[in-house]
Amino acid sequence: MAQRDIAIIGASEVKIELRSGRTTYELAGEAMAGALASAGLEKHEIDGLAVTSCFSDAGNPFYSPILSAYLGLQLDWCQTTDLGGAGASGSVVRAAMAIRAGLCHTVLVLSADAQSTTNRGDIQGFRGEFQYPVGIMGPPGYFGLLSNRYDHQYGLDPKALAKLAVTQRDHALLNPLACEKLRKPLTEAEYLASPMISHPIRMLDCVMVADGASACIVTTTERAKALGARRMAHPIGYGERVNHLETENCPDITRVGHEAAGAKALAQAGMKIGDIKQFHPYDDFLIAIILQMEALGFCKPGEGCKYVLEHDFHFNGDLPLNTGGGQISAGQAGLAGGAHNLTEALRQLFGEAEGRQVKDNSNAMVTGIGWIPYGRNWGSSTVLVLEAA
Amino acid sequence: MSEYDPLEGLRPAPVKQDFSQPFWDGAAQGKFLLQYCPESGKYQFYPRPVSVQTGKRNLEWREVSGRGTVYSHTVTYRSPIPVKGIKPYIVALVELEEGVRVMANLVGCPVEAVKIGMLVKLAWVKAGEDNFPAFEPA
Repeated sequence: MAQRDIAIIGASEVKIELRSGRTTYELAGEAMAGALASAGLEKHEIDGLAVTSCFSDAGNPFYSPILSAYLGLQLDWCQTTDLGGAGASGSVVRAAMAIRAGLCHTVLVLSADAQSTTNRGDIQGFRGEFQYPVGIMGPPGYFGLLSNRYDHQYGLDPKALAKLAVTQRDHALLNPLACEKLRKPLTEAEYLASPMISHPIRMLDCVMVADGASACIVTTTERAKALGARRMAHPIGYGERVNHLETENCPDITRVGHEAAGAKALAQAGMKIGDIKQFHPYDDFLIAIILQMEALGFCKPGEGCKYVLEHDFHFNGDLPLNTGGGQISAGQAGLAGGAHNLTEALRQLFGEAEGRQVKDNSNAMVTGIGWIPYGRNWGSSTVLVLEAA
Repeated sequence: MSEYDPLEGLRPAPVKQDFSQPFWDGAAQGKFLLQYCPESGKYQFYPRPVSVQTGKRNLEWREVSGRGTVYSHTVTYRSPIPVKGIKPYIVALVELEEGVRVMANLVGCPVEAVKIGMLVKLAWVKAGEDNFPAFEPA
């Protein structure tokens, strides 16, 4: 059932920095050079580019071709994926599609954003018309609305959130590429005492926007073998849902698109959720991890906090989770942030996670979340199942 | 004007879509107008260029009650509006009787009094020069 004709053969991540002063192109250059070195590949082998959209170059309507010019790439296919934080996992599959369609054979999948240095984003529409006037505090405000509703329906246990915060921070301490500002030990008491931004969202529930970039190389398994690839990972299942329950005026906002995307990804992979050996969920807010666990079937709706309290999510625990620190403890490289979760999964599958290597690295689930619609949870949901070759 | 509205005089003017103009014209007269899809019998908010049910452009504008309940809420302690010393204020998702949700400030309500399920009614505030929908305890 699962197809293994596509392989990811290299992965790299630039160290995440707050207000680095670097540009999108500089970060992208470092990420590409790293991915080529990781794959043992010459640049001229690349004939495709899939890149995540970014805030630091948001006003540029020619982003992917101009970026490819800066990187010295002659291409037969390129595209920008504008699914926000779901753009990295979405780009892997768009690259696979382009390869299967015969448009190209070796794709650089890249995400770079220097949002904390330069933000050229200007999102209007319903935001400028109906949201900005109410003074909602951006994503922490929307997740405040979501969290209070969850608490009303099911009960939201701050101890579960604290446990996730501390586990991810423990992982960031082991990840030399995590943002230095965040690489300090954290206790559950410190999480619980962090200042309220938009009730019940605390500062340490949120990501810190930073600068960074990641890249990987996607090609055919046949070509990867011919190139003598040292190790590879196959994308064996994928699901995507944009605007979940859009035509329902008053949906249950605790129901997220990952319920549809996850079912599709697992079916394609021929797997059950219990087969997943490590979980790298997109984490802009801690509660997003709990909602995804419920939607993907790790536990039932409303039982996410109980599930969190019953499991050990450390790299050596029973379900290793965001072993690179996640975005909340490694820093969110703007819209390239979702590539952090993806790249950490690839490092684990390649057996290159150094002091935080998981024991069973046979597969991994990576998710993406992108943008926030009006009065709902999130707009784009992706689920990618990867298998080590 | 409401007794408790820390955002009074501070709300930025809405950046309007062309197809929303009837909403703003209604608001100027103190009327809350919603788009109504005659085929599905459903209202929708925020305004769209088409019916989100059918994709057709046969939407009508109908005045609605302005009565609803709080579906969820958040008290904003750190405001995106750059004013020092601004007091905490409530952003709520209000479910109108007509079956749509509206994100709005809950005014005339102490921050500790907001509860999911509480009954609320329309209370216009200003965003720039425009009338903008808010709610207060019913």
